[in-house]
Amino acid sequence: MHSVACGSSALHELVRYRQLLVSLMWRDIRVRYKQSVLGMAWAIVMPLAMMLIFTFVFTRAVKVVGGMNLQMPYPLFAYIGLVPWAFFSTGLNGAVSSLVANRNLVTKVYFPREVFPLSSIGSAFADFCVAGTVLVALIAYFHTTTSWDFRPQPSLLFVPVVLFFQIMLTCGLGMLLAMANLFYRDVRQLFNVLIQLWMFLTCVVYPIPNDGSFWGVVVVCNPMTPIIKAYRDCIILGEIPHGGAFWTACGCSALIFFLGWYCFRKMSYRFAECI
Amino acid sequence: MAVAVRFDHVSKKFRTGEIHDSLRDLVSFQLRRLLGKGAAQESASTFWALRDVFFEVEPGKSLGIIGPNGAGKSTALKLLSGILRCDGGRIEVNGRLAALIEVGAGMHGDLTGMENIYLNGAVMGMTRREIRQKLDDIIAFSGLERFIDTPVKRYSTGMQARLGFATAAHVSPDILLVDEVLSVGDAAFRHRCEQRMTELVRGGTTLIFVTHNLEQMRRVCDQTLVLDHGKRAFFGTPETAVEHYLSATMNVQGTVGYTDHQSGHQAVADVLGLDYLRGDGQTAVCVDPLEPVQASVKLRLHEPVESLAVTINIRHMGGELFLSMGSQSQGVTYSAPAGVCEVSLNLPALPVASGTYLAQVRVWDMRKSVLIGETPYKFSIQVEDGGKTTGMLALPHGWSDLRPVESGMRGAVVAGAA
Repeated sequence: MHSVACGSSALHELVRYRQLLVSLMWRDIRVRYKQSVLGMAWAIVMPLAMMLIFTFVFTRAVKVVGGMNLQMPYPLFAYIGLVPWAFFSTGLNGAVSSLVANRNLVTKVYFPREVFPLSSIGSAFADFCVAGTVLVALIAYFHTTTSWDFRPQPSLLFVPVVLFFQIMLTCGLGMLLAMANLFYRDVRQLFNVLIQLWMFLTCVVYPIPNDGSFWGVVVVCNPMTPIIKAYRDCIILGEIPHGGAFWTACGCSALIFFLGWYCFRKMSYRFAECI
Repeated sequence: MAVAVRFDHVSKKFRTGEIHDSLRDLVSFQLRRLLGKGAAQESASTFWALRDVFFEVEPGKSLGIIGPNGAGKSTALKLLSGILRCDGGRIEVNGRLAALIEVGAGMHGDLTGMENIYLNGAVMGMTRREIRQKLDDIIAFSGLERFIDTPVKRYSTGMQARLGFATAAHVSPDILLVDEVLSVGDAAFRHRCEQRMTELVRGGTTLIFVTHNLEQMRRVCDQTLVLDHGKRAFFGTPETAVEHYLSATMNVQGTVGYTDHQSGHQAVADVLGLDYLRGDGQTAVCVDPLEPVQASVKLRLHEPVESLAVTINIRHMGGELFLSMGSQSQGVTYSAPAGVCEVSLNLPALPVASGTYLAQVRVWDMRKSVLIGETPYKFSIQVEDGGKTTGMLALPHGWSDLRPVESGMRGAVVAGAA
């Protein structure tokens, strides 16, 4: 029997198709790095390159970082921001066009349609994991070569919680965007512009301005800002994220996730004929 | 849980046109609607792909769906598999369902054949372990052992289809939907696919099969549904369904042939019937390929025809015309009075392979060189030889006695060398 209900039956169906989710994720990863010399290494090279660019821009070209209290070397600061951001933006980027790109499957085979955006996000998550391992090397490098000291803290155990909420946010938005793009292809174009803007509204490469200005408020209202800040707090500063901003962001993420999933389920029966 | 599939008065409509692909279209559409111009368009652009269609399939049975293009066959399968949702009625599916609506829909050109088997298998709902167990069978079935590590983008279309079907054929669902995928690949592969479907049905799988190949459908299916313009036109045994389908579809084309709509002429000759008779004069439904057959045509003429000729065309149920016999080509024309008359064609044998054949009758006025009567291909005859021959023809033949050949003769040398 087919049902469009959300909740336990939807989850049950998704569990039944988990192997398909893994297979599609694997396909996305394989296809992305097929016929390339560096292959999976690109997952490391990209955020490293971005880190070097921002390090150059902010410490050599404009020299704005000097006045900021980062409590860690700037390259490390940037890298910890860039890796989760790359997961977020490439995950969404894949998810937006996932339904349209798999038109063949959407119109010819039945399985829960969530599989498409989720597998795109999953393949971005694989990159995230690879890039995450390099962080260990970076920390070791700055620990030994500079006066900066790294002490492993128990707060490291909190990282999976932060990651969990980031995944929820990404999946919720991914499902909403994939669905919207199926009906209106304009979404993909708009997304390309807005994701650039969003990066600068999120403190990926600079700290949160705490001067109480309008700019600071805009930055804090965005759920990605507390999430990225939480990574830095847990990994480097040894603090468990505290304060309303982080938990509001978590609540927001959960809300977006369930809202996204609900709408997606509600509309999915129309996908095959509207694509 | 008596039935595997129940299609309970199902309807499905599609909108033609007016699907907004971009936000700009949406805005302009909403504006037009506000101005009161859009409302009429809405109903005019609705198209019913299926209307109030009912059928049931019991577990372990096989159903064939036939019908002209656009009859709603594929829509029915898509509704069953859950890709589309119906706008009216109810669909009940009991059991795990797999649909072969397009072979290799889940394949990706950049992946190798092997990787695609796993991907395609997952798309069809198989687990990795299941695929691993059946991997050797799948590869053997596809016949692509040598190319299994080659990216699929370098495969030919036929090879891709073979790989796709090989994977799909090894899914063991409770209900299998197949949509015209067997028309790909060479004859040997098609034969293997058909065998596999028969095997699955014997193993208790419920099969729903959409096809244009009537002969194949007749071999595989227990029951047949004929769809026409989204409506159920017939439901019953494959043989009757095929006759129904052919007479219904051919009728449309046939009428144009002899009723001259422009001048409003009536057909001069009505064909009242065609009977097949055996040598002893008994009416035959099923004949041996080597026995003599008489085809007797009964006509009603509305006016006398001075130079009447009759043609009988016979085609195989699956497709093309293979025998056309016209009296005029043998120099035989009749001077016929108005009223009912009968004319017979004598055949020493109908030396063809077992199967169902359909005949059409055409009546000509040779003096005016016009067609004055025509029927669709609706007179069926079954040829059955009890499995003695395979191939397309069954000719009378005989074998000699076995003769020993003395050594030193040419034949022996050749045989020895081989």
